[in-house]
Amino acid sequence: MSDQKKAPIRFSSLDGLFKGRQGVLFSIFLLFILFLGVFPFLPFASGFWLNTLTLILLLAAMSIGWNFIGGYTGYAAFGNVAFFGIGAYGTGLSMIRLGLSFFPALLIGAVAAMVFAILIGLPILRLKGHYFAIATVAIATALGEIADSWTSFTGGAAGITLPFFDPIEWSGQFFYYMAYLLAIGGLLLTWFILNRKMGYSWVAIREDEDAANMMGINTTWSKVMAFALSALMAGLAGGIYAYWKTFVLAEEVFKIEYTLQMILAAVLGGTGTIFGPFIGAFIYYILITLLVFFLPVGQLHATILGAIIILVMVFTPKGLMDFISGRKKLSINALLENIRTYRV
Amino acid sequence: MEREVILETKQATKHFGGLAAVEKVDMTIYKGEILGLIGPNGAGKTTFVNIITGMLPITSGKVYFKGQDITGWPAFKIGRLGIARTFQIVKPFRGMTVQENVAVGAMFGHGGAKRSPREALEHVDHIIEFVGMADLREKHADELTLPYLKRLELAKALAMDPELLFLDEVMAGLNTKEIESAMELVRKINEKGITILVIEHVMKAIVGVTQRVFVLNFGQELAQGAPQEVLNNPAVIQAYLGEKFVARFFRQQKAA
Repeated sequence: MSDQKKAPIRFSSLDGLFKGRQGVLFSIFLLFILFLGVFPFLPFASGFWLNTLTLILLLAAMSIGWNFIGGYTGYAAFGNVAFFGIGAYGTGLSMIRLGLSFFPALLIGAVAAMVFAILIGLPILRLKGHYFAIATVAIATALGEIADSWTSFTGGAAGITLPFFDPIEWSGQFFYYMAYLLAIGGLLLTWFILNRKMGYSWVAIREDEDAANMMGINTTWSKVMAFALSALMAGLAGGIYAYWKTFVLAEEVFKIEYTLQMILAAVLGGTGTIFGPFIGAFIYYILITLLVFFLPVGQLHATILGAIIILVMVFTPKGLMDFISGRKKLSINALLENIRTYRV
Repeated sequence: MEREVILETKQATKHFGGLAAVEKVDMTIYKGEILGLIGPNGAGKTTFVNIITGMLPITSGKVYFKGQDITGWPAFKIGRLGIARTFQIVKPFRGMTVQENVAVGAMFGHGGAKRSPREALEHVDHIIEFVGMADLREKHADELTLPYLKRLELAKALAMDPELLFLDEVMAGLNTKEIESAMELVRKINEKGITILVIEHVMKAIVGVTQRVFVLNFGQELAQGAPQEVLNNPAVIQAYLGEKFVARFFRQQKAA
């Protein structure tokens, strides 16, 4: 047993996933995925639950995408909502103005988000730390303003209205499965990349970019790819969201809160881990729902949420996955050790 | 006999604002040798390596690797071409195991293009053994002590299959016994046919391991030649220890 605990956790491989405590947890996780897969056919799957889970799964997908650039490559991207917005507008405008059906439109929206990520990534991924973070926030905000004021193209403050999904009685299930597939696809994509050179290059860049560069890693290319793939996830989520809500409005799809949610989900679950963002999205929703339920007064729940996030950041900077996976034993000492290890 | 040149700098210069960190340095490194690069603190040794390896843009001058002009190339291209280096302030990938750290070199370095990650992970076993870290293969880099972090730097550089290796103070902070084994390691690497440039403050190591020494002072070439000869050069002693000491040193030598 003690051997099991000492066994190294390879960031990239699934070795030992079916052994020991890891194995139990992974099995539970797989069962949970299966459960989500059949959920719409269960008798208690009401519209409310379908709706909620679709939101959580879209968040999970975006958080998985954020994890590429923020978690693995270590660049504090605070503007990923820009890609969500581009995906939403790209899909919506393609359907309305080009008369395309949903899937080709979604593809256009996602590709547009990726291309945009590459174009802005090339200059701004040269920035580091806070400067990069500020640049991403600025770009996301600017894009929101453009979408809001460019009335002739985006419909401006009136927004754009999309056709309903047909047949409408299957709408809930359709969007649930779109979100589900996107999140599962994101998990598979993460695993796929981590077993390739790209994954090693991301982690190397996070740990020491100069050393990575000197060792033959084309860091610019790797970073831009991480950024573009995180844009792909957010762009797809945005397109699905747009068609689901049949309405795209700048102040709705460029909300900075969405970026924060992606980051919080990843941080709560564990950045730089495969399952962290996925699990984190659920933890985040449960947390916020409980808080709103018990503290319906004003903005108090947001305050408490903030406090919880600070506590998590201070005591388990690597996310709850550290303890859930048994990598570390939950104890006062472990928490204190975390503070010492990760203090800035 | 004409020796084969592996690296050559011509008038290599690096200015930081008004400060000339490296000023018009002409250095030739011959294939197969161990060249020592010494100089007092702040002489520009690390900066010199940084401009050769593309870590810093060069202000003026040229760098040739095996006759090819590599001036201004990005660091990753230079790494892939066959130049590897270690860092004075160690730069491990802390979130990775020792094996993964080294495998990154085998994946992306000079011989990396043809290797998959799995092949790279297998390939590095003998390198990890070679630097004496076989037992630590599965350890995370943030669990290692400094001597092992220095060895890890070396292993990462070696995994790149370099033709030319820059060792930036790999022995600083090590004790006498560790220095001995590090020296042995440097010799063994050289025997594999890898040309080495060592930056070192540990003079014992310089004398013990290098065949030729190049001295930098205030960013300029001060002297070069055989190690003993260079270390007895009054100008070099003065650069390190000051004028007064030189006078005393030579008085004592005369007296003796």
